[in-house]
Amino acid sequence: MNSELYQFSTLTVILLLLAFYGGTYLLTLGIRKKNEDADAFMVSNHRVGFGIGAASMTATWIWAASFYAAATSGYTYGVSGPIHYGLWGALMILFIYPFGRRFRKLAPNAHTLGELIHARHGSSSQLILALSNVLGSVISLMVNFTAAGALVSVLSPLSFQAGVIIAGVGVLLYTLWSGFRASVLTDFAQLVALMAIAIVIIPAVFFSMGGPTELVAGLDNLTPEQASLFSMDAILNQGAPFFVAVLAYAIGNQTISQRLFAVNEDHIKPTFLTATVGYGAIVIGLGMIGLMALTTGVQPLDGDMNNLIPQMVSGYLPPLFIALFFILVIGSLSSTADSDLSALSAIMMADVYGKNIARGKADPKRMLLVGRLTMIIATMVGVVFASFALDILVMLVFVGALWGAIVFPVIASCFWSRVTNQAFTTSVLVAMVLFCVARFELVSLDGGSGLFFELLASVGGGVIIGLMVFGFLGRTAGFIAGLLALVAMLIFATGFLHDYTVLLASLTAYGASTVVCVVMSLLSRQPDFDFDTIRERVGDYDSHDKAPGAEEDDALPAATRLAGQR
Amino acid sequence: MTALYGFYVLIWPALTLGVLALIIRAVLRDRRKAKEEQRELV
Repeated sequence: MNSELYQFSTLTVILLLLAFYGGTYLLTLGIRKKNEDADAFMVSNHRVGFGIGAASMTATWIWAASFYAAATSGYTYGVSGPIHYGLWGALMILFIYPFGRRFRKLAPNAHTLGELIHARHGSSSQLILALSNVLGSVISLMVNFTAAGALVSVLSPLSFQAGVIIAGVGVLLYTLWSGFRASVLTDFAQLVALMAIAIVIIPAVFFSMGGPTELVAGLDNLTPEQASLFSMDAILNQGAPFFVAVLAYAIGNQTISQRLFAVNEDHIKPTFLTATVGYGAIVIGLGMIGLMALTTGVQPLDGDMNNLIPQMVSGYLPPLFIALFFILVIGSLSSTADSDLSALSAIMMADVYGKNIARGKADPKRMLLVGRLTMIIATMVGVVFASFALDILVMLVFVGALWGAIVFPVIASCFWSRVTNQAFTTSVLVAMVLFCVARFELVSLDGGSGLFFELLASVGGGVIIGLMVFGFLGRTAGFIAGLLALVAMLIFATGFLHDYTVLLASLTAYGASTVVCVVMSLLSRQPDFDFDTIRERVGDYDSHDKAPGAEEDDALPAATRLAGQR
Repeated sequence: MTALYGFYVLIWPALTLGVLALIIRAVLRDRRKAKEEQRELV
């Protein structure tokens, strides 16, 4: 096997990028309108079909890091590694859809989850959610542009910065005018390319390295843990932290809620089920290349795990496949980046401008301007951050904590009429403070204080399991599952969880926000909330044909509907 | 054992192929329906 990475000429890489971004841009010309509609710019027509919806959800959830991290997991943890990366990532899509159906039922014409929370609680809760969404999308943009820079610089003489700028400009170019509509349409084309390439590349590498015989022979090089499908090492270090994040990633990500509000309401379930299988199959499949590298004794070039897949493709396949791999990564990162731009623009249009600046008197034309300016600024921020290769670890830690802290308050707010704005806001803030105390060990985690955090973390564990079961099987089953998980955590986790501060802190965020939110809601003397008012308060901004399920709004002119939006 | 590991690696591209076929079929159906109803696909 050739251990060096194949190098394209500058001209070849530029032609490949031009073909990809040029083709994508041309595709969007087919749906472009001179005067775009503000609602369509954010969520299309609320009636996106099953095929486009599933393709868009899958393409959005697969980013460049999915391949690299899955291969790294396969290389590090062996046989079960790719599963412990891809499966939990896929479940993030699966577990959100039961809640998504509830969000959609409450607010059929919403554009962001923040709008729903605004109608339920008001600005403070909504802005907490919007902030977490904005931070998440900016980080995602930066990571994707960074991946483009890294790919271009390792496979060609072009610089890292050149790759970052080309990706940023390319994505902005085709998303700027039509927003979400351009994003979902191009997602479909990008996913078809991405899947077709994955279908070819995985068996091609597998059989070029010698097929199953060589793989089985190479298993002797693995440790017993790496050779086991039920490796505890893989479960504890890769699977468990991902499992904890399953609901948090889904709730905290506007790219998901945007699709929940965009697809035809009747197709939410098949759309998200298909995306779950599609994501899992592609990501686990490409993760298998990491396992192949491990069994054949390949060492990552310069010790960088991100080189594993390019190395295997360069080593075993002809240049055509390396070009296909190049398109695979560019396609995956671009589909996620355009979704992030659409998500950010929708948040600024609806959550910031629509709800907090215009306050019910939103001008659709101005909204579009806000959306497009947001895309330009977000691209610039993403490109600058990526170019300077800033360390985003601390930012990632806080965003993860914020997402964990909002899970229970957001879900409870949509099902339980007693949750108040004060309970929502306070619970998230308290959870963030306690998360920081545990994560950065601001107090000793031995003795009484350690036990305190372990108790909160146990509640957090119960909440995660309880909510997951509740989503599919209802209140009673969820409550029983949560209680059983809590008891199991109290028995098995107390006494040792304080040694795993990352896991302890994450679970503390869930547990603390739940305890505070429940106690404050129960103590509140406010009247129970009437969920029907959400539908009245969240509507479209432009006057046009409505989605099914919003018939009662049809009789009202747009201005009257907007007046009900606070 | 060899066949089992072969299956373990190749099942994922096979699944991907199945999902790809499903999505393309659904999109073509959506497009036809959108044309019939004289509305846009997205």
